[in-house]
Amino acid sequence: MFIADIRKEFYEVVANQRVALLVAADIDALCACKILQALFHCDQVQYTLVPVTGWQDLGTAFLEHKEQFRYFVLINCGANVDLLEMLQPDDDSIFFICDTHRPVDVVNVYNDTQIKLLIKQDDDLGVPTYDDIFRDEDDEEGGDSGNESDEGSEPSGKRRRFDEGAVERRIERQRAKREWEARRREILFDYEQYEYHGTSAAMMFFELAWVLTKDTKDMLWWAVIGLTDQWYFKAYFSRTNHSCFFYVTDIATMQRHVSRHNHRNEDEENSLSIDCMRISFEYDLRLTLYQHWSLYESICNSCYTSCHFKLWTLNGQKKLQEFLADMGLPLKQVRQKFNSMDMSIKENLREVIEESSNKYGMKDIRIQTFGVHFGFKNRFLASDMVHATAALLESTEKDESDSDNFIKALDSLSRSNLDRLHSGIDQAKKKLIAVQQTVASCICTNLILSQGPFLYCYLMEGTPDVKLFSKPMALTLLCKYLLKAFVHSTRNKRCKLLPLIMAAPKDVEKGTVIVVGIPPESETSDKKNFFGRAFEKAAESTSSRTLHDHFDTSIIELKTEDRSKFLDALITLLS
Amino acid sequence: MDPSEVEFLAEKEMVKIIPNFSLDKVYLIGGDLGPFNPGLPVDVPVWLALNLKQRQKCRIVPPAWMDVEKLEEMRDLERKEDMFTPVPSPYYMELTKLLLNYASDNIPKADEIRTLVKDIWDTRVAKLRLSADSFISQMEAHAKLDNLTLMEINTIRAFLLDSLNCMYKLRSNMQPGSSKGQLTDY
Repeated sequence: MFIADIRKEFYEVVANQRVALLVAADIDALCACKILQALFHCDQVQYTLVPVTGWQDLGTAFLEHKEQFRYFVLINCGANVDLLEMLQPDDDSIFFICDTHRPVDVVNVYNDTQIKLLIKQDDDLGVPTYDDIFRDEDDEEGGDSGNESDEGSEPSGKRRRFDEGAVERRIERQRAKREWEARRREILFDYEQYEYHGTSAAMMFFELAWVLTKDTKDMLWWAVIGLTDQWYFKAYFSRTNHSCFFYVTDIATMQRHVSRHNHRNEDEENSLSIDCMRISFEYDLRLTLYQHWSLYESICNSCYTSCHFKLWTLNGQKKLQEFLADMGLPLKQVRQKFNSMDMSIKENLREVIEESSNKYGMKDIRIQTFGVHFGFKNRFLASDMVHATAALLESTEKDESDSDNFIKALDSLSRSNLDRLHSGIDQAKKKLIAVQQTVASCICTNLILSQGPFLYCYLMEGTPDVKLFSKPMALTLLCKYLLKAFVHSTRNKRCKLLPLIMAAPKDVEKGTVIVVGIPPESETSDKKNFFGRAFEKAAESTSSRTLHDHFDTSIIELKTEDRSKFLDALITLLS
Repeated sequence: MDPSEVEFLAEKEMVKIIPNFSLDKVYLIGGDLGPFNPGLPVDVPVWLALNLKQRQKCRIVPPAWMDVEKLEEMRDLERKEDMFTPVPSPYYMELTKLLLNYASDNIPKADEIRTLVKDIWDTRVAKLRLSADSFISQMEAHAKLDNLTLMEINTIRAFLLDSLNCMYKLRSNMQPGSSKGQLTDY
């Protein structure tokens, strides 16, 4: 059931208890976890933090902790599956689920006792009404079963007891029941066929903090990072509107909080210490990590600019040089670290770039985002933090388990662990360069094949940096960039509307590949992802050995040998 | 003595806070605290103030001496005088550090205050060094220093005592006949 008052029904319930926090491995969940941890520290609530990377992890974690804990808080996992059936908990376990995965499973919505959803109940969810899917069987069947049992126990002679009316009524009831069931299947199919994401979990917990008036700038910053993560790594979708719409309204909400915090402390005479955190709302460039890199590298490795210029072609490189010349930026300046560029260039950089990029067809080079500034040296944009933390979370160094990476990424979000953040930024730079190079090589060698209803690309084992792409978030990022680049480079109009499936080797010893499917690139950004169900059906029909472990149903693991028959099944399914 | 021990002792000083919760009087061994009412200022020891601040349960009111003009006057006075001037608080250095680390958003012009307090500290420690130097070189028997704080004494204690010990040993070895040229081993 949906929680109406998050303070009374969630926080005050768990405030005096011991809580188990089961957190999924994505940035939004990390931020939400940080906010909740800070709140728990304020009120000295005892909790245990367990990172989970998939359904199996969730199951094991639950089994380990179900003896000691009654209250479980699940962050970014668990809403899109029938949780009670999966975990088989005792009757007194209570689950608080704050998840951005949609659609929310109907059992979770209509369970009144054990499942509490920390999700805003707005019309966008489109949950089918109770009567459409559940039916109190007792009343209907009572009459029937009474009759039938009578009929069964008595010898055939008693059948003469049935008059025409009763038989007709029974036939009517059965027909109505069949119709109702058919409609129910249809409604459920419509509801569950597309996977998408809702508002950020971090924002939900920030609102809790706000209601408790315990919100600090740190928490606000984490909420902003969670929101930015939704924009970068996930499909942000609304059934009725553009996806950008939700981002814009959420940004407006965050902006109100930011100005409230800024007004609280600043005024002319009593200025704040330089060490205090200042969050500002910026209309900044869409160049990834440009303040921690050189401008040139950032332009080459950002998806937006690289796709518009088509930087994998010679022509594209020339256009880039023209672009830089048009803005009057000398190459020497542009290639050195951003912080060492001349002040005269840095001052009007954003406006200059916006003007020139309009001439080259890049209308949205600036987007509304947030930046933070504390101490004398430390300035970060929200997108920088997202990339850095994602790189730390999915770091492929040896001897590092998933939970180590999780804890490191969690630490990097605190202001006191700046060196970890900087190492995250370095790893993010390497990852971005790898992504761009892979995209360039895929486009130039035509590795993307059109299979009919979708595009398909397979990364061979020897590809450089292929280990980076054995992780789901990195592979999804590559997928998105690749699709954008492909759409910009192909001339085939039909191919521009196709979704993309990408496969990369995941575990060489076990012989598995990771398969990711993303929806087609479209202007309206209706990012409906139907691959979850499609993958399941295809796997069933070909009995391929797949593992649907990830919380996003559009990411699966598959045995390398079953790849071709799985693909064939998908093609037949989707055409 | 360790500087952290001095800081620990400094945390017993009282400071004014404005809580946002309510609690009845608390009876501790060291004294009574409270009662706490939201919005009403109450005096608590620094250790409790910092704990409550970190849990976002209060707002710290800076002590009266932690003000830019007053500190500027003190700094100028300190620079003029040869002797040590009276200090705003026997633990001014530690309190500044603690309060500005944890509660700088409640203290206006925190950066300037930090600079001013550091200036005062530097002047006083310089005077202390000069005084210790003249004490040793003129081989005085005793000295009287007013208005020194525990932290300042602590910075010079180890060095001064060790050097005086060394000098005593050297002197006693130099005097003929008293120890028959025996050198004590350490």
